[in-house]
Amino acid sequence: MPVPAYSFLLLSGVVFTLGAIGFMVRRNPLVVFMCIELMLNAVNLAFAAMSRYLNSLDGVVFAFLVITVAAAEVVVGIAIIVQVYRAGRQMDVDELDLMKD
Amino acid sequence: MVVGFAIVAAWELVTAVGVVAFRKPMYNALSLVANMLGLAVLFLMLNAQFLFAAQIIVYAGAVMVLFVFIIALMNPETDISFRPRGTEWIYGVVFGVVFAALLGGLLFNRGLTGRTGAFTPEVIAAAGNVQTIGIALYTRFLFPVEVTSVLLLVAAVGAVYLAMRRIR
Repeated sequence: MPVPAYSFLLLSGVVFTLGAIGFMVRRNPLVVFMCIELMLNAVNLAFAAMSRYLNSLDGVVFAFLVITVAAAEVVVGIAIIVQVYRAGRQMDVDELDLMKD
Repeated sequence: MVVGFAIVAAWELVTAVGVVAFRKPMYNALSLVANMLGLAVLFLMLNAQFLFAAQIIVYAGAVMVLFVFIIALMNPETDISFRPRGTEWIYGVVFGVVFAALLGGLLFNRGLTGRTGAFTPEVIAAAGNVQTIGIALYTRFLFPVEVTSVLLLVAAVGAVYLAMRRIR
């Protein structure tokens, strides 16, 4: 008995929501980054599920591109976080206002 | 199949909650590794073997190693990772419930229709999963692939620049 597509999409939506909650609630920039990765992963799951149930390859290719973009994003983001840490700033997204002034 | 999906789905939910709720960043990172491995299993259930391999290699292999390295290197304090007051958690949970309700409503009010393609599991199995995706990537999706390669180059240059430079 195959798993219905709805269950995959529902799981994807719940995981995305958890990532969004973490993105807004957590203060450590690294954990905020991990929550972004969680959301991207949830979207990839939805892409793969629809790709499977519509017998199409577009979703799989798109999910692959999302994985690539997420890797690039993590590299640059972590480089920025390390720079901020080396500058002796506090690791708190609420306190980071270097760009403001 | 359904039982397997239920087990992996429960695993995904538990580890996703762990990513959001653990106090120490290292535990968050390890939860995220577990979450990504579970997601790879889901990709396998969805007949996306190529995504399974990419997920393991890129996410669990590269991205999470970077996260764990940085956490071990910087050893950020744990006390700032939660807000001192509880109100933001309440706002976050309220937002989450509303957002999940919107997503669920959207999901169940519209049928899952769409133009079906020619790539049934039998067709993919006959040509091979990676071969099929490779052909699609380098014919129909050539332009997105090229754009992504430029993006990766820019990200590499940017990371090297940021690593060389010192703020003040």
